[in-house]
Amino acid sequence: MNAENRMIQSVGHITMIIISGACLIPFLLLVVSSLTSEQSILSNGYSFFPQEWSFSAYEYLGKASEEILRAYGITIFITLAGTATSLAITSLLAYPMSRRDFPIKNQLAFFVFFTLLFNGGLVPTYLIYTQYFDMKNTIWALIIPGLLMNGFNVLLMRTFFMTSIPLPVIESANIDGAGEFRTFFSIVIPLSMPIIATIGLFQTIAYWNDWFNGLVYLTDPQLFSIQNILNRILTDIQFLSSGMADSRASGSAQQLPSTSVRMAIAVVGAIPILIAYPFFQKYFIKGITIGAVKG
Amino acid sequence: MTQVMRAQEKQIGVKKKTMKLKKYMPLILMTLPGILYLIINNYLPMFGIVIAFKDVNFSKGILGSEWIGFKNFEYLFKTSDAFIITRNTILYNTAFIMINLIVAVGIAILLNEIRNRFLSRFYQSIILLPHLISMVIVSYLAFALLSAETGLMNKTILPMLGLNEISWYTESQYWPIILTVINVWKSAGFLCVVYLAAIIGIDQEYYEAATLDGASKWKQIWLITIPLIMPVITMMTLLAIGRIFYSDFGLFYQVPLNAGALNSTTNVIDTYVYRGLMQLGDIGMSSAAGVYQSIVGFVLVLMSNYVVRKINSDNALF
Amino acid sequence: MVQKMKWLSALMALCMIVLSACSSNGDSNRETASHSGSEGEEPYELNIVFPIFGGVPTDLQAVQDQISNLALEKINATVKLTPINFGAWDQQTNLMLTSGEKIDLMMLSGNTYPLKVAKGQLTALDNLIEEHGQGIKKVFDPAYLSASQIDGSTYGVPSNRDLATNYSFAMRKDMVDKYKIDVTSIKTLDDVEAVLKTIKENEPTMAPLIPSAVGASIADSYITYDSLGESFGVLPNFDNGLKVVNLYEMPEYAELLNKIHSWYKAGYILKDAATNKDSQFDLLKSNRGFGYLAKTKPGFDEQESKNGVAVVSVPLTLPVATTSSITGIMWGIPGSSNNADKAMQFLNLMYTDKEIVNLFDWGIEGKHYEKVSDNVIKFPQGVDGTNSGYNLFMGWLFGNQFLSYTFEGENPDIWSQMDEFNSSALKSKALGFIFDVDPVKTEFAAVTAVSQEFRLALETGMMDPNKHLPEFISKLKSAGIDKIIAEKQKQLDEWAKSNK
Repeated sequence: MNAENRMIQSVGHITMIIISGACLIPFLLLVVSSLTSEQSILSNGYSFFPQEWSFSAYEYLGKASEEILRAYGITIFITLAGTATSLAITSLLAYPMSRRDFPIKNQLAFFVFFTLLFNGGLVPTYLIYTQYFDMKNTIWALIIPGLLMNGFNVLLMRTFFMTSIPLPVIESANIDGAGEFRTFFSIVIPLSMPIIATIGLFQTIAYWNDWFNGLVYLTDPQLFSIQNILNRILTDIQFLSSGMADSRASGSAQQLPSTSVRMAIAVVGAIPILIAYPFFQKYFIKGITIGAVKG
Repeated sequence: MTQVMRAQEKQIGVKKKTMKLKKYMPLILMTLPGILYLIINNYLPMFGIVIAFKDVNFSKGILGSEWIGFKNFEYLFKTSDAFIITRNTILYNTAFIMINLIVAVGIAILLNEIRNRFLSRFYQSIILLPHLISMVIVSYLAFALLSAETGLMNKTILPMLGLNEISWYTESQYWPIILTVINVWKSAGFLCVVYLAAIIGIDQEYYEAATLDGASKWKQIWLITIPLIMPVITMMTLLAIGRIFYSDFGLFYQVPLNAGALNSTTNVIDTYVYRGLMQLGDIGMSSAAGVYQSIVGFVLVLMSNYVVRKINSDNALF
Repeated sequence: MVQKMKWLSALMALCMIVLSACSSNGDSNRETASHSGSEGEEPYELNIVFPIFGGVPTDLQAVQDQISNLALEKINATVKLTPINFGAWDQQTNLMLTSGEKIDLMMLSGNTYPLKVAKGQLTALDNLIEEHGQGIKKVFDPAYLSASQIDGSTYGVPSNRDLATNYSFAMRKDMVDKYKIDVTSIKTLDDVEAVLKTIKENEPTMAPLIPSAVGASIADSYITYDSLGESFGVLPNFDNGLKVVNLYEMPEYAELLNKIHSWYKAGYILKDAATNKDSQFDLLKSNRGFGYLAKTKPGFDEQESKNGVAVVSVPLTLPVATTSSITGIMWGIPGSSNNADKAMQFLNLMYTDKEIVNLFDWGIEGKHYEKVSDNVIKFPQGVDGTNSGYNLFMGWLFGNQFLSYTFEGENPDIWSQMDEFNSSALKSKALGFIFDVDPVKTEFAAVTAVSQEFRLALETGMMDPNKHLPEFISKLKSAGIDKIIAEKQKQLDEWAKSNK
């Protein structure tokens, strides 16, 4: 038994180290390229050991530091507000769907699932949000359209509730006279920390990485999130390379960020969420322990 | 007499119904914010599907524009590439679904077995890293590896192995593998977190009982872990099947850098539509592509769900 | 299942109600449009939408205030500048036009312009120009101003800039000097080839020929035909008796591709040419490139040399004016404007008022530039292009560039030279013809997809034309290029008849 366990542990670690390496090495190349001088990349190629190091890419971004700091503020706000609201309405919808005794649970599941397959497209969505809810150039445009709740997360949560929250636990709570809301908040939620941490992580990543809402609903740069700013720099290049640009526009090409700047942009966009990730994991681990105790 | 009985029955029926309504009222209330959001965000914009069947002219309004039947769909089937793009889309997605599933479940099970909490956490954050980078950046990374003149492969790795340079962006035969590797690299970590959450949710009692019975780890994985996370696996797979006619635009367009020579192995429905409409920008034709993809996905999901329901109705989505 | 369908259809019905509400909303917007206010009325705020590169300049608001002051005085209007990034431009402006958001003036680019007209999103300008735009009429050669007409109506006014194009070979000046290349002797592509050979032999690590921009092909920068929009059916030598032909089947095209491919094989062209993401300037600066074929205009060398490496260019073709060289950048008034008259009055100022033009082009005097003499300016102490509070430098966009100041050190006579360049240019036989793709939309989408696949790889020499050109042509045919060409011929014939 012990021998088997030890073998599993060592096989596990070795495999995971290889996999982690595969994930980490390209990222390392990204970081190193962002710190390599442009000349060095263009004439000697990409390398983990560049001939010449340079911070100029970060200096380039530093010129816009005021803008970037404000954008970080906006990103943090939308990520926190969006994730919290999202978790609330997602779990509130998923829980009744998970109850085997809830009469319209299948209809609801279909209702939710249908949204994953069909969508009206950008134009109608834009019309609804700008003409009826007046969200153009507001901070809500970064939080609500498309991101606030995702049918996929609802189904994921429903499945977790169904498989991990035993019906007897809920029934006994009901018999004790607890109302549905009390049961939900004091029994179901504490038992569901793993899934809540997971969905919370997904939502955090989704909000943190989102640039699309900003691209569509914002023209006011005061409201740009960090990804909007980074994406703006990248899309300018894309636009030029799509061949759609009038050649005249290439007169402005001196403003094109160089390769190392593009790499620095990716690093700047990803670092904060990497720092935030361990906090989620804390809850994740907490969720595991609570989950283990529940039985 | 019978009339009275019937009336009484009716009353009881109504009473039962109101009782039921009262009992489930709190649950219904819970669902309202979510339902409201889905109606606003997803169902109301679905009127846009009519755009696919119209020749939109804004001076007439969307509803006032002319109906043109399936004309907006024609360009999808117009070229000799129609077969290639459909084949590529389906083959790639099928491969992605299977490989991602195996890799992600495998890693999740491994991670769950690892006792050292610190290291387990460390591995988890690392495998999520690729998910955090946008496809545009991935395309730059791929270029850093594969560029003919400055790439790491041609400049460092291949010479080290004593091999000749390869002109990666002109030789299409390598790309099915390159794209599959990038896809797994980018999405397996995310899927793994989903499966890990499901595995963690499994009641430990099952394992304790199994250990007492002397079942080996291997057996426990096959007989407990896999069956218990089956609903999640089924759901994730059904969702992926529903999107089998879509493809990750960034992966197929930006990563190969739109290099024409690679088209026989990298052209999929989304890139074809993008290339075709980049000048026209016609919303009727682009929504036609969306409707086509959605309907194929919808039919496939209904069929697969039907099969799943036949096998084990608990695992079915609806 | 039946039940599910029932409430789904109920939902759809709900959507329909919203939809009809949507469209009626749009109509009411349109009804309130037009009609200017008389004196003493509230000043009208004009929303001006235009594209920019990079971040919004920090002093945009200050510039906007100054322009508003002038406009208030002259036409009782204020302006609101709405810059949108190039990368987001198509998406955002399409959505804004679709949802009927108020825009009074916006930039139009030639490739999407006819589609906007076809969708009914733009206002016809002819009467407005007659009434409020006499200044605009004075600026242009009538043939150039009417180049944007569709079915006899004008929907866009081009900015006054270089309205013709010629193609040149641009080279690094230091290398030209080092190898004593006689630039005056370069007249044809064969002469270019000789130079490429010299460079290749002496500078083996340098690619003698690079693309003129990210994503541009080599053949794109040496054009001897009127593309009539998008090159599906062209007019060779800008005339050809108005007979439209398939560019890709022309022997000249195959010849050019063969030449480019032989250059590529000889190592004259950057290996990554088709997938390259570095600007031509970065490639020159890092000693990876020597020269490029480019679309040029007077002042091109100075403009390019600003980016760090001195460049000299020699023309290979004569300047030609085509519909697309003129309609490339225009201004239009969308249907959602509530006061088209005011919009046109302001547009007229952009072509006649030196102060307004220079506010747009260079910002505020004393803050963003200082005058050296009447028409020549320089940066104030401590200010340069990177830290200036107003660094758009997009004179080619804002109306009449000929009223713009020139920078110290640049040719002060540039605008008279430009005028000469424009007026001396050969006018394509099809100048003023705009192709309406609507009747062949299906084929157009399919053909575009095919050409997107092949063109760049063929035209940068990466693909062997002997093998792939026939494949390209047959795929274009199966996608329906012949139908497009026939339609184009038909429209061109009709156009020629009505423009006799």
